[in-house]
Amino acid sequence: MNDAASRFGIGDRVRVKAANPDGNPRTPAYIRGKTGIVTAVHGRIDNPVDHRGIYPALYTVEFELRHVFGTDSADRIASDIHEDWLEAL
Amino acid sequence: MAESANRPHSHMQDFEAHIRAVEEDLEYYRTKRFEPRVLYLHRRGVLTLYDLLEAAPSAEPAAATAHAGDHEHDALEGRIRALEDRLDAYVKTIGLTGVPVRGTRMVIDDGRVERGDYDPAFRIAKKPHGGPLDERVAHLEADMSRYERLLHAFTRALVAAGALDPGEMDRQRAQIGQPSIENGARIVARAWVDPIFKQALIEKGREAVRELDIPPGRLGKMGVAENTPGVHNVVVCTLCSCYPYDLLGDTPWWYKSEAYREQIVRDPRGTLASMFGLAVPADVAVRVHDSTSDVRWIVLPRRPAGTESWSEEELATLVTRESLIGTAEALSPAERNDPRRRGAGPKEAAE
Repeated sequence: MNDAASRFGIGDRVRVKAANPDGNPRTPAYIRGKTGIVTAVHGRIDNPVDHRGIYPALYTVEFELRHVFGTDSADRIASDIHEDWLEAL
Repeated sequence: MAESANRPHSHMQDFEAHIRAVEEDLEYYRTKRFEPRVLYLHRRGVLTLYDLLEAAPSAEPAAATAHAGDHEHDALEGRIRALEDRLDAYVKTIGLTGVPVRGTRMVIDDGRVERGDYDPAFRIAKKPHGGPLDERVAHLEADMSRYERLLHAFTRALVAAGALDPGEMDRQRAQIGQPSIENGARIVARAWVDPIFKQALIEKGREAVRELDIPPGRLGKMGVAENTPGVHNVVVCTLCSCYPYDLLGDTPWWYKSEAYREQIVRDPRGTLASMFGLAVPADVAVRVHDSTSDVRWIVLPRRPAGTESWSEEELATLVTRESLIGTAEALSPAERNDPRRRGAGPKEAAE
């Protein structure tokens, strides 16, 4: 992990882009276009086993289930998302 | 898919990152875990450098042969893999030789920093690294051989001093070699009894587990989701089955099932109840972590009630694989003695 400058901080509200053709395709489909809150900043992660290159900084973003799936749940889901997928709100 | 990394013949994609990881881990274990102990015992006259000299094998061990590949690329990959294996063995042996010698305890710099009695003036210098990749690999091979020889001499000196039983060492080596749920249990138990370790674990993940002589693994970053009175965490990988198998051993079958991967995300509370018989109280929020290959999440379960006087070793027996994934709590003392509850998977087949 490198200490590259991270654009977002813990507590920031962010929106996941609906599409990002050049980004990591492993961003889950169900959170695309959804709004969440950054709960952890991981920086850039070297993961030579799984990626050839190094993706931009990684964040854990939490979403409300009721927002993501339209259910009446009060529970939450956290997903790890690279910076290029995120927009500030 | 991340799981393909399980196969020994999957190809390395970034040599530099592998080499850097070996360089950093090797220097860490040498300067923080091994040599401070040699010096500690020497200063006290318990086991001196001369004891090591006498114990050193007269013949040098055969130099590790570089992997002979037809292709230069394959040869470098083979050499890096051989270094990773030797590093694993080095780390394990350091752990096994951490026995008390005539009443002295294992010394590690990390522990001394935490206690506050660490003087950086006594820090052992780490070697700088750099240069082209093949040179860095050649330097590592030379360093590794020298470090192995000193560790070998130290081990023999411990045996000669009666502090170490070679048979017992072989038995333990076979045990700690395999990544297994035991590693997760030891991590959790240490976090329950040691708040400083817990903080380091949550902030640094894999780096913190070195303290337990658990090889830190080679996959991304370890994320630790701590259960609290208000939040229960559960882990899934909706895209495939990312799991910290290099740290915790084999992935349970149901973790890879489509039923679990789809349902736990959409209705975590209902799925925990119906599939695992875990009723999360209404005033406790459920937080699902959708794990990716970059951050492998484990859950730090809550310490069961009625264990206030328990030792770390006893506490570790309460930690199950399911409690590390979040589909169960850690066992209560009563449940531990009920064999039906040990390693309980889902109540019924998830597929």
